[in-house]
Amino acid sequence: MEIEKGKTYKYLREKREVTEAKENLKRFNQVRKLILDALKENDLTVDQLSLKVDMSKDEVVYWLMSLIKFGYVQTGSLDDMDEYFSYKLKK
Amino acid sequence: MGEKMKEASYDVLVIGGGIAGGEAALNLANNGLTVLIVEKDLSVGGKMILLSKVFPTLDCSACITTPKISEIARHRNITIFTGSEVRKIRKKNENDFEADLIRHPRYVDAEKCTGCQLCEEACPVVVPDGYQFNLVGRKAAFIPFSIANPRAAAIDIESCTLCGACEKACPPGCIDFTQEPEEYHIKVRSVIIATGFRLFDPLLIPRYGYGLHKNIITSMQMERQLAPTRPFNTILRPGDGKVPCKIAYVLCSGSRDASVGNPVCSQICCMYSIKQAQLLMGALPMADVTIYYLNIRSFGKGFEEFYEQAKGMGVSFVKGKIGKISENPNGDLLLRYEDINENRVKEKVHDMVVLSVGIVANRDVSSFFGEGLLKLDPYNFVSQPDQLLRPAKTSIDGVFVAGTASGPMDIPDSILSSGSASAETISYIIGRNE
Repeated sequence: MEIEKGKTYKYLREKREVTEAKENLKRFNQVRKLILDALKENDLTVDQLSLKVDMSKDEVVYWLMSLIKFGYVQTGSLDDMDEYFSYKLKK
Repeated sequence: MGEKMKEASYDVLVIGGGIAGGEAALNLANNGLTVLIVEKDLSVGGKMILLSKVFPTLDCSACITTPKISEIARHRNITIFTGSEVRKIRKKNENDFEADLIRHPRYVDAEKCTGCQLCEEACPVVVPDGYQFNLVGRKAAFIPFSIANPRAAAIDIESCTLCGACEKACPPGCIDFTQEPEEYHIKVRSVIIATGFRLFDPLLIPRYGYGLHKNIITSMQMERQLAPTRPFNTILRPGDGKVPCKIAYVLCSGSRDASVGNPVCSQICCMYSIKQAQLLMGALPMADVTIYYLNIRSFGKGFEEFYEQAKGMGVSFVKGKIGKISENPNGDLLLRYEDINENRVKEKVHDMVVLSVGIVANRDVSSFFGEGLLKLDPYNFVSQPDQLLRPAKTSIDGVFVAGTASGPMDIPDSILSSGSASAETISYIIGRNE
């Protein structure tokens, strides 16, 4: 096949199966939507988010920290007991 | 030999681009020898580049490693193959070795990449970041970590959906999905093994509950949490995002334990745990840190003072053997242990438990040479037949060992060992030429 400069990904598309990678992407998009929608109304802690999006707390931590890293969410304030941070959408 | 195989020759092949391999390569290159470093990872720097600080001086690890790595990468006598593996090494004669290598495709032209991270921004895929020990995600198009060398992007092809977003976003046009694995046939005069170590897998001790209880982490995960390029904004429990107050360290997790196949002391766990405890006291001033130990082995220069300093800062030391770790419904962890001094079984609750995992041999090395040619010791580290007088010597003349490939040791000892390996290599090469 002729390889067009700047579109070499098409070359590998013919050779590689990407079903699993697409499933991962789908999962990330779903989780991102769930978390961002949940944070639209209020700032939430991991515990509150876990209840709202029906996901285990450790999964929430992983996705939340990733969303902070990629600039979707930011860390809010600590609670009165200095134990849990709340998280909010990055404006 | 395949038609596509590329050929090259160097004076010395250094297997492993960590601090030991890098130091040995630099010594050799400064003495006028040409060196090829083969590193399986995407960056040189090994494990040291991922650490927060070093003990007992608490110097910033990255501040020590980065200039050294930069010097290695820019040296005219040193060639570095990252993302590459040694397949086979054959000794034809003295001063005459042949090695078959494979360079895995990075799908990015590292020479052209400016490290702008626009590909990373454009990539829609998020997968666990191995360099952050899976505490946070990374993109499929990614720069391994901020001080990686080369600081060039790579594509994780297993996770890539081949959407082309990275390629469209890349200003210098350095992303190239047509890259294929490259095979090399290399001729060298000597070989240095600096393949380092592996961390003990705590899943092999099910009673500790690692993997099951999410607030139990390994010391390397804590190391990342303490580093300036950490995955979270502060120290957090990965199980629920709580700022931990009561933190326990379990020393000898996978060391000095014949039941898990590693009866030897890893030599570094006591001190790195004490280092982390001190850093934790700084990061979380209200934290209560307890270290459960069998013996504190503070054998090096300044180590005993470092231990005393930790005690002075308020770190608690309990001579106790952990029997089991279980989880309370709120995510806190119940440690059941034998208090050795009081000869009683006790229980204590902590917010978070750090398993101070030990060092185990990197067994890859045994496959490089012919069956049984490179002798290993009973613990699968490279055997040193003359440990006192010629510690870098191996069972093959012309093949030397540096750093933790020969056994557990700390960073200064690894660097010393590299000095020995490079001196032996120069002596071997010069001796054979005369």
